[in-house]
Amino acid sequence: MSQSWIRTENLTYSYQDDSTGEDQPVLHGIDLSIDRGEYIAIIGHNGSGKSTLAKLLNLVLEPTGGAIYVDGKNVSSPDMTDEDVFALRQKVGMVFQNPDNQLVATVVEEDVAFGPENLGVPSAEIRQRVDDALAMVGMTEYAKHEPHRLSGGQKQRVAIAGIIAMMPECMIFDESTAMLDPLGRREVLDTMEMLHREKNITIITITHHMDEAARADRIIVLDDGRILRDGTPEEIFSDPEPLIEAGLDVPQSASLIHRLRKQGIELPGKIGTPDDCLETICAVFEQ
Amino acid sequence: MSKITLENISYVYSPGTPFEMHALEGINLNIRENAITGLIGHTGSGKSTLVQLLNGLTRPTSGRVLLDGKDIWQEPKKIKQVRFRVGLVMQYPEYQLFEETVRADIAFGPKNMGLSAQEIAERVSEAALLTGLDESLLDHSPFDLSGGQKRRVAIAGVIAMRPEVLVLDEPAAGLDPRGRDTILNMLRDYQQKTGATVMIVSHSMEDMARFCDDIIVLAHGKLVMQGRGHEVFARSRELSDVGLNIPEISRLCLMLRERGIPMDDGIFTVEQAEQCLLRLLESREQRTEGYV
Repeated sequence: MSQSWIRTENLTYSYQDDSTGEDQPVLHGIDLSIDRGEYIAIIGHNGSGKSTLAKLLNLVLEPTGGAIYVDGKNVSSPDMTDEDVFALRQKVGMVFQNPDNQLVATVVEEDVAFGPENLGVPSAEIRQRVDDALAMVGMTEYAKHEPHRLSGGQKQRVAIAGIIAMMPECMIFDESTAMLDPLGRREVLDTMEMLHREKNITIITITHHMDEAARADRIIVLDDGRILRDGTPEEIFSDPEPLIEAGLDVPQSASLIHRLRKQGIELPGKIGTPDDCLETICAVFEQ
Repeated sequence: MSKITLENISYVYSPGTPFEMHALEGINLNIRENAITGLIGHTGSGKSTLVQLLNGLTRPTSGRVLLDGKDIWQEPKKIKQVRFRVGLVMQYPEYQLFEETVRADIAFGPKNMGLSAQEIAERVSEAALLTGLDESLLDHSPFDLSGGQKRRVAIAGVIAMRPEVLVLDEPAAGLDPRGRDTILNMLRDYQQKTGATVMIVSHSMEDMARFCDDIIVLAHGKLVMQGRGHEVFARSRELSDVGLNIPEISRLCLMLRERGIPMDDGIFTVEQAEQCLLRLLESREQRTEGYV
């Protein structure tokens, strides 16, 4: 059997409704395999369970059923000690949505040092890790700045540096671009993709922006706590109806090709990304 | 007909100090009555400053803000009246909900206007209806609602003051595609039903292209473009040059032109791109047939 780096088996999660006392299921039996070094986007409407899934993967939440394996180890087992949970969170880091809610120190470099300090890393090595992490996200010149004076995109990059300093193998971005302006979004996306490309870090990004999802290697579509689709952007965007029924979008370029095909135009090319669409349209004119 | 006119507006932060910063310089513009205007610009372009000038939250360093042709600062003591007439919905307004029930939260504005209990009740129902909030939700705590519903409650709270102008800063930010369309469609319905003037500030060119009648573009504190949506988006190359994101479909059309496919200038919706390509493909087919 091939060993996936992260694997979930019939993973379920439900919470108790305060007013009725009844169990409200959020995830119904998720079976998912993620290999080391993959770049995955998870999309789905609000309440589809995508943030819950992300929070389960680094045990911010505990599953109510099923199992999660990371690197061959059952991390959802009741035998997990606090140390084990810390070790998991060091491997699987998470960047959240609100840039103002995740920085803890009053100086950028101290914020980045927070994680490795808690891991008990020797101070000389912390210095090295902080410098490396800030350089990697392009924030070296802001090392002595106050975080609250930074732009949203810069704050998110500091938050990313704080996780890099813990040397994770996987990073989860939970709508980390949602509150940013277009420039900030680009900064975070570029940083994310650099980490994937150059450091081979497994990237799982949760987003409402279909153009961001189109950049991943693989898209997982969640709908009402179940996996609706799982495939490459090409596969996912080639079949728009299920997406639209699930309250999602198809990127504009792909949508254009679908409309033309419906009009009987033969466009045999790919449509996964805007560049694919460009080539697909050009090919028809070059015949 | 212009509802709000800005005449040679400038705004300087911390004038006369080393931190002096010109947020807006020499802005002249008209916000058309009974239409939806979109305000576009980078972070730091002066958008937020401009929005705060419209309802008198800040006073321009120089120049005049005219509401129905009248300078809003003519009688500074009456500036509160202007704030009832020009309603402002901030970014992520759901973080500002605070009352125990949805009803009480929506009623907060009208109460401050000193209206009678009956008038307040009428306005709450009206605002709930206009924002698509079911009556049954009114007695719930706002904190039990979904993100999209909370945002509609916050907007209803401003609509309940029956403002003549409704200004919203990023009304769809952070919502999923369905939530985004619900809010934007609701605003369009609201505009059509009430005849109010609506202004939307957003970074999403795709949304602006779909929902706004007029577009205003700011960059570095100056007005760069102003006009009907199709006029502004017809200049997508210039928009792209000032570093603004243009809709993905506009970008695709510009790239097609670079590859020698004679797409029309200024395409900003998928429908327009489809029509244009169908036409080009058809004329190409006719030409090919001609050779046979």
